[in-house]
Amino acid sequence: MSAFIAARGLTKKYGDLVAVDGISFDIPEGECFGFLGPNGAGKTTTVRMMHCVSPVTSGTLTVDGMPAHIDNRAIKMMTGVIPQEITLDPDLTVQENMVIFARFFDIPKREARPRIDELLKFVELEAKRTSKIDQLSTGMKRRLLVARALLNRPRLIVADEPTTGLDPQARHLIWQRLRQLKAQGATLILTTQYMEEAQQLCDRIVIMHQGRILREGLPQTLIEDEIGREVVEIRIAKEEDERLVRELGPFARGHERVGDPLFFYCRDGHDIMRKLVELDLPNTWTRPATLEDVFLKLTGRGLIE
Amino acid sequence: MNLSYRVYHVFIRNLYSYKRFVVSTFLVSLIEPLFYLITFGIGMGAYMGLFGGQSYLHFLVPGVLVSSVMMSSTFECLYGTFVKMVHERLYDSLIATPVSAEDAVAGDIAWGAFRGLISGGLMMLVAMAMGVLPVSIPSVLLILVLMVFVGVLFASLAMIVTSVSPSFDFFNYYTELIITPMLFFSGVFFPLDKFPAWMKSLAAFMPLTHAVNISRAVFSGQYHARIIWNFLVLFVLEIAAFSVGVRMMKKRLIK
Repeated sequence: MSAFIAARGLTKKYGDLVAVDGISFDIPEGECFGFLGPNGAGKTTTVRMMHCVSPVTSGTLTVDGMPAHIDNRAIKMMTGVIPQEITLDPDLTVQENMVIFARFFDIPKREARPRIDELLKFVELEAKRTSKIDQLSTGMKRRLLVARALLNRPRLIVADEPTTGLDPQARHLIWQRLRQLKAQGATLILTTQYMEEAQQLCDRIVIMHQGRILREGLPQTLIEDEIGREVVEIRIAKEEDERLVRELGPFARGHERVGDPLFFYCRDGHDIMRKLVELDLPNTWTRPATLEDVFLKLTGRGLIE
Repeated sequence: MNLSYRVYHVFIRNLYSYKRFVVSTFLVSLIEPLFYLITFGIGMGAYMGLFGGQSYLHFLVPGVLVSSVMMSSTFECLYGTFVKMVHERLYDSLIATPVSAEDAVAGDIAWGAFRGLISGGLMMLVAMAMGVLPVSIPSVLLILVLMVFVGVLFASLAMIVTSVSPSFDFFNYYTELIITPMLFFSGVFFPLDKFPAWMKSLAAFMPLTHAVNISRAVFSGQYHARIIWNFLVLFVLEIAAFSVGVRMMKKRLIK
């Protein structure tokens, strides 16, 4: 079976700026696929091309066999978008926002009414029906964006940093809902800067940087391939690096000095910990390797503006 | 141009949002014409003789009707659209649905024209209450049609300005340098006959001049061959303004 979404040499330029630089990927139907990357990596641009609000500069991009194109209403018809910015209609109430959006998708009134009830319940906003948008908290607004994106019963859900600026409760609620949607068979495209979010939700991820895909794979495999299982962190003066690397290097897969701490990446932290006890060093600890380690290793630790 | 019936959906969205402002805009739409008609029509009219056998107020009304349409639809598609586009990011969520950018912009132009129709229509009611009536019922209906026609024209022209505007301040150039002068040089408040020739030819370049001529003819039922020309000018300009306005907005919306 061919991929639900397929990109080949997908490129997007804004004038001289290359936002997406010839990337290729395949996403089967029903998968949750994550785009990870720092600001300006090209994640949002990529998904905007997928849901047909931004034209492709070159390369090909197809969704369900159809070329993604700014005027492709058929793709838009089956796609639900949870945008990064809160683009709710501030002139309308919660209920009206849903009613008007249903109209944009040509959903007949008779069908729209029960569906709106059901969706507002799904995101726990039934009590806010008549509230205006500016009376909602950020978490409620984000939940309403989720409900709004589901009005057309989308086969493809594009969530562009859906939990930015949320407290943990609201974030977990949104994660739960997204998982539920995936369980119902929707294909989920997620962009995020939160590694935990990617680990929680995604079957597969790509890490993007400067418009290119650096790595692609399962989150757990990526961590093990790039980092290992555990990370040992030692807060120590730089001058000691040489000695420590000589002593500990054989037990680790790699090491990295990042400002204050020195990191050792290893498959198994036990040997290194025993050695550390011998060396009697203060300020050391070991923790499981995370996607964040992979991310930082690949995209660099400098600030990206 | 990717236009569809979804223009209507966008219009309805605006109607929903309008519910909240309807009382205040109706008040403004009623007070503004009273202000024009009382000060100019009755106050100034008292010092003037008859205009073609009728009072100054009769001369004034048809022109003021179309200029109020111009004002309303212009402002709606300048400030109203700009707020929706930049501040409320409404277009962003619209174009992610099957509603195309063209549908969205055309829907706002239709809405601008509708706002013009409301202003003009209310003003006509006030004028009628003051005893200034169009010559017949069909002429009342024709005036309403003309209002929509003029509204679409000025809404489209405003869209062109909005599509290149970096901020609200930019609109001042358009309103102060183009719209306001148009109000005074288009024969709304006095006939253009006494103007020097160059001013008359300048007036011929102003769409409002043509709209006022048509309005006056329809209002009085005294049609003359020239209004065919007036209509053609407006018609061509309207088609051009609409397609340029929609295209330029699309260019701004889709990156």
